[in-house]
Amino acid sequence: MSQQAASLNDLDGVTDPITLEIIRHELISIPNQIEKNIERTAFSPLVQEYKDYAVGIVGPTGEMITQSRGSLLIFVANALGTAVKDGLDIYGADGLEDGDVVITNHAGTMGQHLNNVVAYTPIRVNGELLGFFALLVHWIDVGGGVVGSCSSSTTTDVWQEGIQFRTVKLISKGERVPEIFRMIEYNTRFPILLLGDLEAQLGGCMMGCDLVQDIGQKYGVAAIENAVLAMRRDADASVAKILSAVPPGEYKASSFLDDDGINVGKNIPIDVVVRTDGKTITVDLSGLADQLDGPLNAGRNGGAVAAARIALKYLCTPDTPVTEGDYDRLSVEIPDGKFLSAGPEAPIGASGSTIPTVVDTLLRAMADVFPDRVAAAHHGTYGVHAFYGTQPDTGALFQNLDTVSGGWGATMYGDGAGPFRSNAHGDTLDVPAERQEASYPYRIDSKAFRCDTGGPGKFRGGLGVEKFYTVLHPCHMTTKFERTECAPWGLRGGKAGATGGLEVIRTTGETFPMLKNQTSFSTGDRVRVWSGGGGGYGAPWERDVVLVVADITQGYVSVDGAARDYGVVLNMAGDVDDAATQQRRDEMARND
Amino acid sequence: MRYLMAADTGGTFTDLAVHDTENGAILFGKTLTNYADLVEGVLDVVEETGAALKDAAVVKHGTTHVINTFLQRSGARTALVTTKGFRDALEIGRASRPVPFQLTFRRDPPLVERALRYEITERIDANGQVLQALELEEVDVLAKILADQKVEAIAVSMLNAYANPAHEDAVAARLRALLPDIFITTGTSISGEWYEYERTSTAAANAYIGAKMSTYTQGFETRLQGQGFDGSFYMMGSNGGLLTVEQTLQQPVALVESGPIGGCIGAGAYAQALGLDRVIAFDMGGTTAKCALVEKGRFEVQPTYFVGGYERGFPIRTAVLDIVEVGAGGGTIAWIDEHGRLKLGPHSAGSEPGPVAFGRGGEEPTVTDASVALGRIGPGSFMDGKLAIDGEAASNAIRDKVATSLGYTGADGVDRVAHGIIDLVTTIMSGAIKEITIERGHDVREFHLFVFGGGGPLFGSELARSLNIPNVIVPPQPGNFSSIGMLLAEPRVDFTQTYLAKVSEDGLADMDGVLRNLEVRAKTAMAAEIDAASIRYEHQAEMRYQGQMHSVRIDLLGGDTAASVTAGFEAMYRRRYGHLNADCPIEIIGLRVGAMVATEKPNLAQIAPRPASGDDSDPVPISRRNVYFRDVDARVDTPIYVRTGLPIGFASVGPAIIEEYSATTVIAPGDDFSIGQLGEIWIKCGKEVGQ
Repeated sequence: MSQQAASLNDLDGVTDPITLEIIRHELISIPNQIEKNIERTAFSPLVQEYKDYAVGIVGPTGEMITQSRGSLLIFVANALGTAVKDGLDIYGADGLEDGDVVITNHAGTMGQHLNNVVAYTPIRVNGELLGFFALLVHWIDVGGGVVGSCSSSTTTDVWQEGIQFRTVKLISKGERVPEIFRMIEYNTRFPILLLGDLEAQLGGCMMGCDLVQDIGQKYGVAAIENAVLAMRRDADASVAKILSAVPPGEYKASSFLDDDGINVGKNIPIDVVVRTDGKTITVDLSGLADQLDGPLNAGRNGGAVAAARIALKYLCTPDTPVTEGDYDRLSVEIPDGKFLSAGPEAPIGASGSTIPTVVDTLLRAMADVFPDRVAAAHHGTYGVHAFYGTQPDTGALFQNLDTVSGGWGATMYGDGAGPFRSNAHGDTLDVPAERQEASYPYRIDSKAFRCDTGGPGKFRGGLGVEKFYTVLHPCHMTTKFERTECAPWGLRGGKAGATGGLEVIRTTGETFPMLKNQTSFSTGDRVRVWSGGGGGYGAPWERDVVLVVADITQGYVSVDGAARDYGVVLNMAGDVDDAATQQRRDEMARND
Repeated sequence: MRYLMAADTGGTFTDLAVHDTENGAILFGKTLTNYADLVEGVLDVVEETGAALKDAAVVKHGTTHVINTFLQRSGARTALVTTKGFRDALEIGRASRPVPFQLTFRRDPPLVERALRYEITERIDANGQVLQALELEEVDVLAKILADQKVEAIAVSMLNAYANPAHEDAVAARLRALLPDIFITTGTSISGEWYEYERTSTAAANAYIGAKMSTYTQGFETRLQGQGFDGSFYMMGSNGGLLTVEQTLQQPVALVESGPIGGCIGAGAYAQALGLDRVIAFDMGGTTAKCALVEKGRFEVQPTYFVGGYERGFPIRTAVLDIVEVGAGGGTIAWIDEHGRLKLGPHSAGSEPGPVAFGRGGEEPTVTDASVALGRIGPGSFMDGKLAIDGEAASNAIRDKVATSLGYTGADGVDRVAHGIIDLVTTIMSGAIKEITIERGHDVREFHLFVFGGGGPLFGSELARSLNIPNVIVPPQPGNFSSIGMLLAEPRVDFTQTYLAKVSEDGLADMDGVLRNLEVRAKTAMAAEIDAASIRYEHQAEMRYQGQMHSVRIDLLGGDTAASVTAGFEAMYRRRYGHLNADCPIEIIGLRVGAMVATEKPNLAQIAPRPASGDDSDPVPISRRNVYFRDVDARVDTPIYVRTGLPIGFASVGPAIIEEYSATTVIAPGDDFSIGQLGEIWIKCGKEVGQ
């Protein structure tokens, strides 16, 4: 950090402040423009609707310059730069030539499930390396034991999860390398969708590179470098200002996950420590459980570093585009062999699944220091539930990977929002029921809020959602559901939200939970998926009675729930019984 | 009947354009919008022009009433009736968070609160088959509840109704019979496309503004008639077409972007008349700048429009001009952030208190102040001097609030920073133009830049340079251009239908039938007073590679075959995205029919500014002043012309400033400029930047 800090002070005077600002605008807008093109040209719903991608500009040594707004948060941390750094290690800057497009999904460096493939191309202006234009896209299938590759919850090593391309040139000096394209085509279950998505990924890479080159030509390499440095310095200054208000010390929090899918019922502890001296911040994840037998692991970059960076961004600089300076004061401590610093052989199919809980726990650790910057816990799981099988009319293979949306935690400013996906997701759109019913052999019977699931508090947590499916043609499902035991906690006296879950209801009436498993369905089988609510903020008996009554009117809280959780008692006429309410609220305050 | 009139009620001004068909003249009126009585505001400005309503054949009206009702949440108490199990679709939406790292992010609340969202037992599947029949008794019970709840409007939207609207229609019919005084709308009557959230949101929006717009539109017509008007009254639709009163009553949501459309129609008409295939219509006002593409006189409509913005607003599926808007206008405020960096907006001084230079209490330097400080806007130029300009106050504000913090001193420093503000706002606005070109696969350099609004002509030259666009065109009356455009608008309706077909001769077999049905719907929707024989139709198909989500729209020319639609798709796709996906099957997912009727229009040549004396001799500048230009980084002695003094055919070289009542045109040093046949100013940007 000291070396970076030194260079950060050596700026300005070279490029005038107005030009710096204009270049900053131009740089930030380019990934946003490319993002739209990706959405419009991609084939799989996972890219078009779910937006399982990241678009960004990376500096000449792999540092983050900027990323698009729609990029999935889990990738925002460092995925693109990590890929580029591996390329620089292997080829050296000179070996990455104009017109090259390199791809990688290498578990050992990226540390994320193998579906996440980064493609990048060098950007040179007058022979000088300005950086790289990089795109991560979730490839719909890269082989392995199950349809969709990352959907299994029972893999025990990474090779069961698909093929690895460690830093290979897909395009070399503008010429496609047909051997690599053939390898891709014959290592996926969905060659048409994947090759379609790949064209979108490559098209975006080239076009993004052109656009950055244009501004490089216009303003010169030195001016661009200065603007990038200014972006970094400004972000760093924002973080510094916030950290300076924190009393130096150690801040701890704990939570846990259900299990790793293999050792069912064996909880996975998450103990985090955040240390700060008022100038820098250290996220110490040494207290995480050891590497797991099942696929909830992630490598250091895709796991520990990503979680720490996401949490710091939520905490310090939520309103600005992500850039390297957001993280110059952050160090992450974790020994090898923890579940977020797993070895290159570890199963990592569900690599992102634990991140939301770790991020929530880090925010919890800082709750007393930054009451205005944190939220109570959210539902906290991806809750993957993926239907797959063959289409009844054509026999074609299909897969629809879905995740849950649930309640978010309340803050000191108001009720928790939602339903949204996890805090590692971003502008991730639900695929409409009408589109699913027209595309896949099942029906969605209902999708509705769950009453009384928001954590009670002065401000209430957001509500969970329940949905039911009916299967119309035999098919299969894999699931990876978490956080059914550790309820989304409240903050500062707020109570926990309800947990989520998933169960299968056979036509026979047999009903069983299926959190991390797979099963086959017969026609008429049903699936119930329910997501958790967010935690509350502040004591529930301090919630404005008017707000509680409004929640009853809207059906967010039941009459019983209002009396039980908020101490708001209604009489037979449905009006607030002031005396009984006062009594109940006093009692709650005494007993808490 | 002597007059055609177009009245545009905007956020700040109410504009009127009147075409006198007897002598071809165009009259203009302008007044501050009267929020207390919007209709009165229009009647006042009509009176100002001296044209009598009893002599008007047509009155066309554009309004911000619908969008304001949404943004202010001042619509009806609205209920939703939907399929059992799905009443929360309206609130769950698509469950996404467009603002990535904000823990407090939440969307604007839905237009219909949960307590007023009701479910009916019924179910239709994706193929349109009835799985669970509708029981009308249930609707009867619901009608009582709705009456007890004193709802003022009802939206009916059922799952999979795009495949079969029978249940929706039956529920609506029953409710109309039982609750005759309540405004009732169905989702599929507005959008025949799939996606339950978007369609339900559209139905809710239509219901929410229905009662209010009925009152407004009918009241407007009545008051026009009270002044002796007995011609045709039309409302300006967001699709660029005129809607009859009857259509407005059914689909008020189609007026959501009634305002900005006029300028685009005008730009299209000028582009056609000047023989230009591709122009960017660019409109800059006090708080925002907007741009749209016009190709061969036509503009694209976007299928989904977000009221209140994409991040927090709600979608509606109605044809809306494809427009990109950014918060950059004359009133946008320049400031210094915590890191000592120059920032623009999002705050705007608006018209109240306005820029510092207006002397009406504004204290923060704005984009307009930067133009004033640099000498681009002259002291007596605004509304012919009716609004005095205080140049010194503008310069001082820039010096004190911005330049000093950035380390710039003296008069040169103020010039440099003022131009920095100009450069920054140009970057933001050119970003909007890039968005509407690059993101849609167009090469911006192939377009002409057509600038209007109060601020457009001030920035045409800079914008064109930053985008490498060679030609800028400033139409006559740039500040009244929206109402001129409305004068040129035609009645038009659009209908769309989800239509899933693989591209093969078999696949297209019933396409003609679907298109004919859409034509019949369009014809029925057109007013009875319109002669069916005068309607012309255009057909389009939404196409994509099988498995893609987003589609591209291609024109169907009649007699279409699998080969012809494939060729059309591939040409469009390659142009937009630069590549094709060889061997991938192509499919059609939707069909669209637009129906238009030609109407009498003014001759554009009549709008050209005329020298007061009719004297065509070489014009002389009315004055000269020192204006700062970035390229030379110095003040340059610049001639100032009055626009009405420049005859057709006049040509010269910048620097120059051309002033008129509602706008100022800036021409940079070295740029050629000339006056065209329709009185338009052409600016040819001398230097290519970055080439």
